[in-house]
Parts: sequence; structure tokens; C-alpha cells
Amino acid sequence: MAPALEADALTIVRGGQPALRGVSFAVRPGEVHALLGGNGAGKSTTLLAFLGFLAPAQGSVRVEGADVGADPAHARRRIAYLPENAALYGHLDAYENLGYFLGLAGLRAGRGAIDAALDRVALAAAARTRRLEAYSKGMRQKVAIALALLRETPILLLDEPTSGLDPVAIDEFNRLLRELAGAGRSVLMVTHDVYGACQVADRIGLLRDGALVGRFEATPGARIDTEAVHAAFVARETA
Amino acid sequence: MSALLRELRLLARDRAALALLAVALLAAAVAVASGLAEVRQQRAQLAALADADRREREAVAAQQADWGSAAYYTFHLTGAPPSAFAFAALGLREHGPWQHRVRMLALEGQIHEPDAGQPEVAVLGRFDYAFVAATLAPLLAILLLHGLAAGERAAGRHDLLVATARSGTRLWLLRAGLRIALLAVALLLPLAVGSMLEGTAGAVALVAAALVTAHLLFWALLCRWLDRDGATPPSTQLMQGVGAWLLLAVVAPAAIAAVAERRHPLPEGAAILMAQREAVNAAWDLPKAATMQAFVARHPEWAAHAEVQRPFEWKWYFAFQQVGDEAAAPLSQAHREGRAARARTAATLAWLAPPAALERQLEALAGTDATAALAYETAVRDFHASLRQWYYPRLFRDLPYAGDELAQRPTFTPPPG
Amino acid sequence: MTAALRIARAEWGYWRHSRLLLAALAVFGLLLAAIAVLSAARIESEATRRAAQQQAAEQAFTTQPDRHPHRMVHYGHYVFRTPPPLAVFDPGIDAVAGQALFLEGHRQNSAAFAEAPSAAGVGAFGVPHPALAYQLLVPLLLIALGHAAFAREREAGTLAPLLAQGVRPGQLAAGKAIALGAAALAMLLPAAGLAVLAVAHGEAPAIAALQVLLYAGYLGLWVLAVLLLGALLPRRADVLGALLLAWLATALVLPRLAASHAVAAVPASGKIAADIALLEGLRNAGDGHNAADPAFDALRRQLLAQHGVERVEDLPVNFRGMVATIAEERLTALLNEAAERRMAQERAQSARLAAFAWASPTLATGIASRALAGTDLAAMHRFQREAEALRFEFVQGLNQVHAHALRYADDIQRSVDPEAERRTRVDASHWRLLRAFTFEPAAPAARRDNASAAGAALAAWLLALALGLRFAVARLRP
Repeated sequence: MAPALEADALTIVRGGQPALRGVSFAVRPGEVHALLGGNGAGKSTTLLAFLGFLAPAQGSVRVEGADVGADPAHARRRIAYLPENAALYGHLDAYENLGYFLGLAGLRAGRGAIDAALDRVALAAAARTRRLEAYSKGMRQKVAIALALLRETPILLLDEPTSGLDPVAIDEFNRLLRELAGAGRSVLMVTHDVYGACQVADRIGLLRDGALVGRFEATPGARIDTEAVHAAFVARETA
Repeated sequence: MSALLRELRLLARDRAALALLAVALLAAAVAVASGLAEVRQQRAQLAALADADRREREAVAAQQADWGSAAYYTFHLTGAPPSAFAFAALGLREHGPWQHRVRMLALEGQIHEPDAGQPEVAVLGRFDYAFVAATLAPLLAILLLHGLAAGERAAGRHDLLVATARSGTRLWLLRAGLRIALLAVALLLPLAVGSMLEGTAGAVALVAAALVTAHLLFWALLCRWLDRDGATPPSTQLMQGVGAWLLLAVVAPAAIAAVAERRHPLPEGAAILMAQREAVNAAWDLPKAATMQAFVARHPEWAAHAEVQRPFEWKWYFAFQQVGDEAAAPLSQAHREGRAARARTAATLAWLAPPAALERQLEALAGTDATAALAYETAVRDFHASLRQWYYPRLFRDLPYAGDELAQRPTFTPPPG
Repeated sequence: MTAALRIARAEWGYWRHSRLLLAALAVFGLLLAAIAVLSAARIESEATRRAAQQQAAEQAFTTQPDRHPHRMVHYGHYVFRTPPPLAVFDPGIDAVAGQALFLEGHRQNSAAFAEAPSAAGVGAFGVPHPALAYQLLVPLLLIALGHAAFAREREAGTLAPLLAQGVRPGQLAAGKAIALGAAALAMLLPAAGLAVLAVAHGEAPAIAALQVLLYAGYLGLWVLAVLLLGALLPRRADVLGALLLAWLATALVLPRLAASHAVAAVPASGKIAADIALLEGLRNAGDGHNAADPAFDALRRQLLAQHGVERVEDLPVNFRGMVATIAEERLTALLNEAAERRMAQERAQSARLAAFAWASPTLATGIASRALAGTDLAAMHRFQREAEALRFEFVQGLNQVHAHALRYADDIQRSVDPEAERRTRVDASHWRLLRAFTFEPAAPAARRDNASAAGAALAAWLLALALGLRFAVARLRP
């Protein structure tokens, strides 16, 4: 079975500067894979490459074995994407936003299904009929996560999914991710939150200046060691 | 279909877009209403004039005792009633005469008499449908369509939208298409109502609708092109769009007009009148035979009847009037030809500036352009010539006066269109 | 003040870094300069041409040979409406109003040969003149330059630190106003140049200065409007959209809407209808060519009694000439009445227009500008009245010659007796009674008064916007 996502010697140039240099990794089906790195390390660039927004200068990106450049629509059909600081329509409420975006994906969800998804991200029921412009950042993030859930795609790409969430919500979100992985969905998330990544990821790749400089893997029965990752992250950052 | 409904629902929540569409609908409706009021007023005015003119002509006829006086004292009303589509583009009817009262004196002294509107009103121009469709609509289209993709990027939704919809191009085209379609509906609905009220020919109304829509599409494509990379900030795109409007709706038309006018200079209008006046007045000082000779040279059919015996004879009087017209004819014809040439050049070049092209096309459909004005002028000239043809046998052959024959005088028929 | 200047300098620095704004400044500057030069050249050549035509017409009249004076009444005369000096800046009605007016006995003609009907007629604005460019286009430049003044700081997050550093909102607004106002002033240079040119051609300096001041006020009004909406609305896209809509409504739509309203509200009956109505009245006034017309019985009786004679042949004056004089006088009274009615109708339409000046500063500026330049409806009416005065004067002068310089007996025989006809030809030196005509604009004070109502509307707008801006700036939040 082909990996859900696969980057092979991926090099991407943005604005004349290399943003990724020869990065290779794969995300297996049912795996939560985190890319960890500081600002400008190339985390978001990697996600945009899988969506076909950025074309590789060298190397390739594949989704379920299919080259993204050749068929970006296929990749986007199989992937639910949660952008950083996900912005939805401020003048619509949660139901309307989710209805619109699901429609955009060619899906239709009843109020019940939407409520179930919003329950899973713990968005207060009273807030759901309010316009999003009145939401806090965390609440907006929850709606965006609900959208990713409702898409029911086999793959999720998450860009800083927990930014703006409070610790309780982060815990719930991490539990949710493990659930999804358990159900066979593949997750690639990028974050600079070492603790959160270690809690939830099966594997972690450490990005620095567009290159993959460290790999960590959880073993059955033990999560990745936070201290080790943190040490590597900081060492690299201060090196 | 569901995609269309989805976007329609989203648009229905966009207050700025709705406001712009409402402005378009309102502007088109006001323009059509004021155009309708104007053409109806023009028709009523012509009808009232036709009535007054007939009464006046009958009163004059009753007082005459010879053909010459009848020809001298009788005015004939000519008028070009507005077409069934004139309400949409008032065009040259604003500036140029569309009604004349002529008699059998030298025509050049009469046909340039303007019955023009109030100059301060004419300076501002009317709020007609052609103005709304050609000049206003592009601005509304730019406001409605600029930076569709870049706006989403600025709002942080661009990547999520495209990733979810799988193809950005399709989404932007769908959104732009929907907006331009609604704008077209807002602009065309009042036009359709106006056309129905006026009984405009279906083909004319359809061609006009197609032209208005094509013009909107041009501006939609321009907006799409400005937004091609989705990265230029929306406000920058808006300024670029307005810049394009400035170029295509103001600067280019002015340049086209300047080129057309420079390429086809007109003889000075006053020179036509002077030539005619000098010729007519000189006749009084010339031997009558000299005038009649000049007349007969052009109109040999009257050679046998051209001898003038008394100090005053009507046939001599009208002959020198016609000789006066003929003296001014080269200038006058050059003036008309120059105007026609200007219109042709402008029509060709106008395709460089879509708003100007649309305005011209609407005026052509409405019969309010230079071509129509010239056609009316030609019809007046033909009518005047037919009056001469009717009177000359009676004057030159010295036929006995018969007042009841006056009813058989030619009547003016406006040019078709 | 130094804080405000620093902010203005920062604003200019921002413009310098935007290729779009630099291009806009360059394009508008060139456009204005080009329009100013072309307009000045065009109007000056028009003025020279029409003045030459006027001279030619006068010469044609005075060099006519000996002939019967009534023939000169019908030979007639032309007057030309020469554009006033400030027409180089605002030609106003020049293009749409007739330039040449034929003056003859027994008739009042309309001025013929306006440019507009024979123009190529492309686009909604024709060939733009400087006044139109200032009214319509320069506000767009101010909008492009100024719409982001506050919103840009807000979006970049620099507004909060600025205000937190102790810069008062008033200083911030003053700085932005200085920056934008300087651009407006720079754009006014071509207008000032044209005003100087007009003064060189004889315009009163006070009026020329007032004209420039008017446009400074108009552009100042847009500076205030740009800053006001910029302070009130949060995002630059919103500010830009709102300003463009405001421009579209007040500069583009309202003036034309006002024009359409004016003609609908005061329908003009047109000259032909007036002519027909007149003809009826004329039949009662008497045909001046026919001394036997019963309408002149009273005159005949009065003259016979006055001179104590029995027959008109014995009168010391030529009865036909007396009839022509009286007939012209009666007719002219009727014609003038009709003309005044038509002018009153046109003034009523202009009054309807002027009411919209309170809603559209652009329209207000246009009205005031045409009034100051002497290219408004009042100037056209003035031309018509002056031309009519000249017409009446020379026609009656010729009628006096008719009454006193030739004998009645010859006059009534001239159609049948060539010798009598020869004796009715008077000496050509009489044609010098024609007065030279030059059309001059109204006195500066009169033009200033004509402009004052629209100027007041503009001033009210300025005041309201200034107060609005003060209010909005005091509540400026990041």
C-alpha cells in the first residue's frame, strides 16, 4: 500500500530563495506525523506543496502514490486542509460557513452531522448561530477543525492546529487526532509546539532552514520523549 | 446548479455587493424613466406643433391670392419623431435640431437654425441609459468584481477555499460570472421594461441587450486579468481598474474625437451662411436676366419660361433664392460630408474604447447618432426640393391661382428609423 | 506642528515607494498640463477666428454699395460670440451654444453653428477641458493617494504605537491633510497658469484669483472627504470603495440627474412653437412692408393731422419709412417678450439645476466656475440681449434713413419706374451707422454675484466635512 503522503527529495523555491531543500519523508496510512520547526523553517511550505499550490523545483510530492503536480484536484479531493489562522466568512454563522465550504467540496451535511462535528470540537451550542466575526480565535479554529472532520477525507493537513486553543481544548483536540488516526486517517501536522507534537505524533520530523535535520519515532507503548525533541529543537535553534 | 445556488446564497449575504447591484438597478431604472419622459415630451411637442402648424398654414392659405405669396408666406413643419428606442440613448437629439420649419426661401438660411436645448443642461449631458450602460456600468462592474481572489487572500481564506474547491479558477469564474450576470440583469431589466412600454422592435432590444452584456464581459475579463495571480492587493486592483476606466471611458474617447475632428476639418458654418446671403442679396443689384441665366444653366427645363418682364416677379425671386442655395452648396455639402466622415472615423476608432463603442452602437440603434441627424437633414432638403418642384410649374408657367390646390402640396415624411 | 510635518513627510515617503501612486501622480500631472495647453491653444484660436469673422462681417456691411435702405435691413448683419478670457480654463457652454447670430429686420434668429452637433461625439465627456478635469478627475487622484492614510496604519498595526507614543489624533490628521493638500496644491498649478494667462488677456485679476480659489476649495473638500471616510472606516478596501461610490454619485451621476430633472420639471416649448404663436400676434401688429395695412391707419391719421396735410404724398417724411419704423418697434416688443419668456424658462431650468448644487459639490463648483468665467447661461442671455440691441439699433437707423433720406413718391414707384428706383438708392456712407460689436463678459462684480449661491453650497460642504473630520479624528481608535 502506497504511503498517504510522500515527499521525495523535495526542493521548493519561493521568491528566489530555497524554502525546502531535498526533504524526503512519508506519512503512512493511519499515522499522525508532525513536522516541527521554528519560524521560516519550511513547515507551511511543505503543506502547500502537497496541495499543489507550490510546484517542486526538484523532487516530487505524491498523495496516495499519485503525483500532485500531475493531478492537484485528486490531491485536494483526498485531503482536508486546516490553514494556519483559518479564516472563514465573518458575516456567516458556523452552520452557514460549514454548509458553504462543504458545498464547495461537493458534499452536503445535514444539521445533525454538523452538530455532531461541532460537538466533537466542543464548540458551545449557543455560539453556533452567531456570526464568526464575534468569535474568539480559538472558536474560529474549532469551526475550521470541524470542517476538516466533516470532509471525511482519508488525509488531513493541519497547519498549527492548536494555535489559539486553550489547554483544555488542546487536550481534547489531541485526543480527537488519536481517534482519527485509530480510525485509519492519516494526519500531517506542522507545529512549533514541541510538547503537543510529542503527545500526539507517531513520528516527528524536525525542520530547520528547509532541511529535515532530525527524526523521532514513537515506539509501541511509549510516546516520543519530549525532552529529547526539545533538546534537539533548541540545540539546532541556538547552534 | 447546486454550486450556483451555493454562491448565490453567499452573495446574498454580501451587503456591499447587494448595494452595488441595487445602485445599478436604480440607476438603470431612473435613466430609462427619464428617457421615456423625454421622448414622450418630444412626441407631444411635435404633435402640438403639427397641430399649430396646420392651423397656421390654413390661416395663411386663406389670405393668399397668388402662388408666389403662398410659397413665400407658408411655413412647413418638418420633424423627426424619436424612434421606439430613442429613450435609451438621446444622443445628438440633445444638441442637434430634430425639427425645422421651412419655407421656399433659400434653404441654407433656414436649415442651420438650431432649436437647441438649454445650453447649461446640454453642457452637463443627460442621465440616459447609454450613459449608465457605457460609463457608469464599468465602474460598478469594477467595484463588484475587482480582486475576487486577492480579496480572499487578504482575508486569509484563499488557500482553504481553493484546497476545498479543488480548482481556484473554476471558483473565481463562477463567482465573477454570477456577479456579472446579476449586474447584467439589474441593468437590462429596466431596459426591457422601457422597450416593452415603447414597443421597441424585439431585434433592436435584443441587440442592445447583447451589446450591454458584451461590454460588461469586457470589464469582467479586465478584472479577472488584474486578479490573475490573486496576489495584488484588492485596493490596488481597484485603483488599476478605475485607471483603466479613466483611460478607456475618458482619455481614449477624447483622443478619438480629436483625431476624427482633425482628420476631417469642417468648413466654417458662418461661411455657408455668408455665401448664401451674398448670392441672394447680390441678385437685387444684378440685372434680372443675369440671375435667370445662372438659374437656367442649372435648370434648363425652365429655359423657355425664364424671361422676367416686370420689376418684380415671384419666379425671379425664388430663382435667386435657389441660386443662393447653389452658391453655398459646395460649402454646405463639404460640411455635411465632413460630419459624415467624422462619424465614420469615430465609429471605426471607437472600437479601441469599449465604452465609446457601446454608446455609439446604442445611439445607432436609437437613431440618435450623426448618421440619423444627417438623414433627417437630407429628408428636409428633399422635402424642400419637392416644394420647389410643386411650385415652379405654377410660377414659371404662370398658372392661374387655385387655392384649393394648396392642399396637394407635398408633405414631409421623416426618414425611416 | 513639527509632529504633523513629520507625519506628512512619512506619507510622502510612502507614496514614493508605491509605483502605482507615482505613476498616478505623473499621469495626472501630465494629463492636466496637456489639457491646459490644448485648451488654451484651442480657445485662443477660436477667439481670434471669431474676432476676425466679426470684423469681416462689419466690413461686408459697411462696404455694401448704394442701395435702398430697406435692402440693408434684409441684408442683415452677423455677430459672433467670442469666448471670454477665462474660457481657456472653463469654456462652459461654448461648445454647445451657437457662435454666430444673424441679425436682420423683422426677425430674431437663434445663434447657429454650435460645435457640439458637428463634433465627432465620442464618449460621454467629449474633449475634456481643464475645468472638467478638475471637477471630475483630480478627485480620483486624491482618493488614490489618500484613502489609505489611516487604514494603512491600522492594517499594518502602526496606528496603535503611534497613538501610544503620544501623537495626538489631531496631529496625525493634520499631517495627513498637509500631505494630501500639498498634492492638491501641486495639481492646481496648471489652473493657476491658465488664470495668469486669462489675466494677460484682460480678465480681472480678482476674478481669476477667485476661480483658482474656487477649485482650491473644491479639491480641499475632497481632501477632507478622503480623510473623513479614511478615519471612519476600518479597512482600506472599504475606504476606497466608499470614496469611489461617493465620487460616482456626486461627480458623475448627480450633475446629469440634475440636468434630466431640470428639463423634465420645466419643459421648454421650443423656438418653433414660440415662432408660430408669434406669427398670430404679428398678423395683428401689421406687416411693415405694406403701408396700406389697416394696422397703420392710426399712424397715417396721426401723421396727416400733425403736419396738417391731406395726403401721405404731401408729408415731409417718407410714410413708408415711418411705417417700417413703427412696425419694427411693435414687432420687436413682441419678439422681446417672447425672447424674455424663453430666457425666463431657461433660467428656471438653471434654477432647478442649481438646487442640486447642495447635493453635489461637483455641480456647485461647475456652476460657480461657469459664472465666474462668464461662460454660463447668463452670459449666453447677455449675448442674445446685446445682439438684439444691436439689431434693433441698426434696423431702426436704416428705417430712419428710409423715412428721411428718400421721397415717398419715388419709394412707391420704384417697383415700376427704374428712374424712381435709382433715386431710392441712398449713399453707401449711411451703412457706417452700424456699431462695432465685441462681446465682453459681464462686469466682475456681476459674475461674482452669479457664482455666490453655488459658492455658498460649496462652503457649506467644506464646513460640514471639516466638522465631521474633527469629530471622527477625535474618536480615532487603532
